This record gives sequence, C-alpha cells and structure tokens, in this order.
Amino acid sequence: MDPDAVAKAFVEHYYSTFDTNRSTLSNLYQDSSMLTFEGQKIQGSTNIVAKLTSLPFQQCKHSITTVDCQPSGPSGGMLVFVSGNLQLAGEQHALKFSQMFHLMPTTQSSFYVLNDIFRLNYA
Amino acid sequence: MDPDGLSKAFVEHYYSTFDTNRAGLANLYQDSSMLTFEGQKIQGSQNIVNKLTSLPFQQCKHSITTVDCQPSGPAGGMLVFVSGNLQLAGEQHALKFSQMFHLMPTPQGSFYVYNDIFRLNYA
Repeated sequence: MDPDAVAKAFVEHYYSTFDTNRSTLSNLYQDSSMLTFEGQKIQGSTNIVAKLTSLPFQQCKHSITTVDCQPSGPSGGMLVFVSGNLQLAGEQHALKFSQMFHLMPTTQSSFYVLNDIFRLNYA
Repeated sequence: MDPDGLSKAFVEHYYSTFDTNRAGLANLYQDSSMLTFEGQKIQGSQNIVNKLTSLPFQQCKHSITTVDCQPSGPAGGMLVFVSGNLQLAGEQHALKFSQMFHLMPTPQGSFYVYNDIFRLNYA
C-alpha cells in the first residue's frame, strides 16, 4: 500500500473511532506515546485515552479537509498532517483544527501513534 | 538546552530567516529533506529553496501563535508544530497557517529540517 493511501486509511480509522467509540483509541497508542492536546502534554496510552474520553462533549464529528504525509526517517515511521472541522453536538459552528501524527510500524505490520499534537485553529 | 527552548529558538530563527533572507533557508535543509507546501511535494534543499523564493510575494512577516514540540523517536529527532499568521505586504488581512517540522541532529550539534509540511488555514 502506498504511503498516501496508508495515511488516508489511518486518518479515516482514527477519526471514525474517535467519533463512535473513543475508548478504543487505546489500541492505537502505546506506553511510549505522547499527546500534546491544546498545549497539555500527556504520555502513555492509558493517560491519553483518559484525556480524550474526558473531553467536555459526548458526541462529536470530525470532517477532514486535508491530509499530507511524509516518511519520517530510517525507523520506517510516517508523519501525517491533518486539517479539518470538529462539530460538537448542540454547537452552531464547527471548530477548526490541525493535528499531526507520527506513526511507527508495529511488529504485526500495523502502525501505532508515537507522537500526536492537536491544536484548534481559532478565527 | 531543553527541547521546548530548542524548538522555540529554531522557530524564531526559521521565520526570521524566511522573512528577511529567504535564500538563507538553504542552510536548514539537506538533499534528503522533504517539503509539502499546500499539497505540492518537493525534495532536496535546492528545490525547496527554489520553491520558497519563487512564492508570489516579495515581503512577508510570520507571527507565531503556538509552538508545540515532542521528541520523535530513537534517532534523536524533534517534531515541532507551529500555528500563526502570515502577513503579506499590501494585503489587508493576514493569512493563517499551520506548519510542522521534523528536525534531525547534525554531527556538529545542530539541527536540520528533514520533514516540512505547510498548510494555510482557511476560515
């Protein structure tokens, strides 16, 4: 599978999981994973999922506008840079966001998220 | 120097060079460097600097709103995620942008840009 297709497939899987079953995002992170969410730094799958499942909204929908990817170096990793909209249930206007993921290969020929940085884009 | 200090120093150096001496950015990239600029993929320091120096504006000023960084793995790299405003001379409104850099260490104790992805954030 070519890198662009892998990146798109990951992005679709990540956000559909986020939007329908947030706690199972734990499968995509490991103990070494790092998330910076609006400037707050969190490490490890358990802590990351605790943060994401405790965000102050029940329902949300991510709509993706752009996906860019590049190989990240000799370790076989992949950088994925996303921009899009985040619609919260009950809110009139969607929030705009940018997010970057650094995916690392697993021994089972899959990927996990080593680095994750999320920022809202205010008007 | 701590990672946050390093990434802030890099960001300041990168954008002040961009805004005052765009051709001087060549020192920050190598032959293996990759830039994706608004979806266009470019590789290698010369091609990257050609692209940046041929953008359709003479004068610009980057103002940085947020800088986030994380170590990128065993190779000693650093991911830097930036959001900010880009004011072009003669334009009434600044453009909003997000950009991510993957910095890799050089043998001389400095960093070069291995991965660079730039996206405008449209309202």
